[in-house]
Amino acid sequence: MSVDKKVSEFRRNWQFFWRSWAIQCSWNYERQMDMGFMYGIAPTLERLYPDETDPRQLQYKKEAYRRHMVFYNCTPQTSAFALGLAASMEEELAADRDNFNPDTINAVKTSLMGPLSGVGDSFFQGTIRVIAFGLGVSLAQRGSILGPVLAMLISFIPSWIVTWFAGKLGYTMGAKYLNKLQGGLMDRLMYICGIVGLMVVGGMVASMIGLTTPITFSATGLVLQDILDTIIPGLLSLCAAMGLYFLVRKQIKSTYLLLICIVGGIVFNALGILA
Amino acid sequence: MFWNAIIIGLIGVICILDSRFLGRLNFERPLITCTLVGVALGNVPVGLAVGASVELMSLGIVNIGGAVPPDMCMAAIITSAYAILTSATTETALALAVPIAVLGQIIGVMGRTLLGMLTHVADRAIEEGNFSKARRVHILWGTIIYSLLYFIPIFLAIYAGTGVVEAIVAVIPVWLTSGLNLATKFLTAYGLALLLSTMLNKDLAVFFFLGFFTVGYLGLDITAIALFASILAFILSSLKFRNSTVGMSSGGAVTLAKDDYDPLEDD
Repeated sequence: MSVDKKVSEFRRNWQFFWRSWAIQCSWNYERQMDMGFMYGIAPTLERLYPDETDPRQLQYKKEAYRRHMVFYNCTPQTSAFALGLAASMEEELAADRDNFNPDTINAVKTSLMGPLSGVGDSFFQGTIRVIAFGLGVSLAQRGSILGPVLAMLISFIPSWIVTWFAGKLGYTMGAKYLNKLQGGLMDRLMYICGIVGLMVVGGMVASMIGLTTPITFSATGLVLQDILDTIIPGLLSLCAAMGLYFLVRKQIKSTYLLLICIVGGIVFNALGILA
Repeated sequence: MFWNAIIIGLIGVICILDSRFLGRLNFERPLITCTLVGVALGNVPVGLAVGASVELMSLGIVNIGGAVPPDMCMAAIITSAYAILTSATTETALALAVPIAVLGQIIGVMGRTLLGMLTHVADRAIEEGNFSKARRVHILWGTIIYSLLYFIPIFLAIYAGTGVVEAIVAVIPVWLTSGLNLATKFLTAYGLALLLSTMLNKDLAVFFFLGFFTVGYLGLDITAIALFASILAFILSSLKFRNSTVGMSSGGAVTLAKDDYDPLEDD
């Protein structure tokens, strides 16, 4: 009982692709992306067990659907890898029911969640997004509509490529490929992303906070901001960012930090220390 | 105002469905949604300006999956609409929009709990062999519930809120508006600080300062920094990872990459 209905490679990949993107449609507090994964693997299961009048097939199909309703959470783009892999394992199971333990499918899925999310979130949310919107904001501040357009292009292209090939690789190559990725290639990519991301954020601290002081010494006519600018441009912005960074690292609640920012703004402005 | 509220509400639906339907392509980000609001209401410059400043404040906030208050994506949409439709400045509009977004977030928590219950409906549908119903819970009901979670608060905030905002702006004192102006600079610093807290480590901290001083002293813009940083990162990574690539080209890629893994962890 191998794959009963043939399906073109493109169509199968396309299903991995868009169903990975749509995995968060029913994100919930109980099992997070459980239904999302079930929806993703559904076309594979429909192909494997097409005949619902056959009680055995119906039984297998129910088991398979139930198997993919367990807790799941992963970055959508990299999740395509787990989806492709799970689909190929479901096919193996259907082809050779005696020698394949169905529990391994969920075991592999669960073990992939952590590494795939770790890599996916730090790549898409931590790096690509920062670079895309760092550039986008700097253009938008000059009134250019290119800002948001460019930000979307930079976000879209890597997302598209990674999801497409993650699904493809998961289905064809399986777990072997993940080891290779976790070796040298991934480390190198994360190292590059880390450097670019941090330099862009450093540049944004210097150019986008714009904290100044209105203090002048009336006796000598000295303007404090001019003195600061000749020593280190953007020093006050750097101090504010670093100060808040240490408060964040001290695990102070975000609600308090927001309040500190708002009250601090009103107070420092009223005292005429900062502007 | 009714039609404006409907249109802004629909932009809110685009915003939430970005992470539901499109794997978080970043359509949800303030820079994008505020520009869309600007286009819809016929004032692109204000949309861009509001988008840029709210984007900076929320760049560090990453809501992966769950609902983390306050939802700056929702706040951004309401802020840009207020800034265009009323005489409020960006700072005042933001100060009024954030509490609404916090309320919206509470509804968001309820919606995600409701979907937790619907998961059992899907379980039962599978038991009954009604597979298409189980799939519908995800793709149809999930989509509808999430759309409403954004549409309703935003619609109400625009439809019922703009008059209130106008009244508040009329009585707001100058010291408060200029204080809020400074507060948004602190909030920008906070947004970048949040971002740093996820990225900064001992080995790479020096690159943060390199970026800061390059822009501060040389006045380069962010595009230039991103390009130079990519080149620098590429050069440094080929030096740092030179051994592992040599190892891989001499055969047995997978095992050798693993052997090389230990020395990498030591440095």
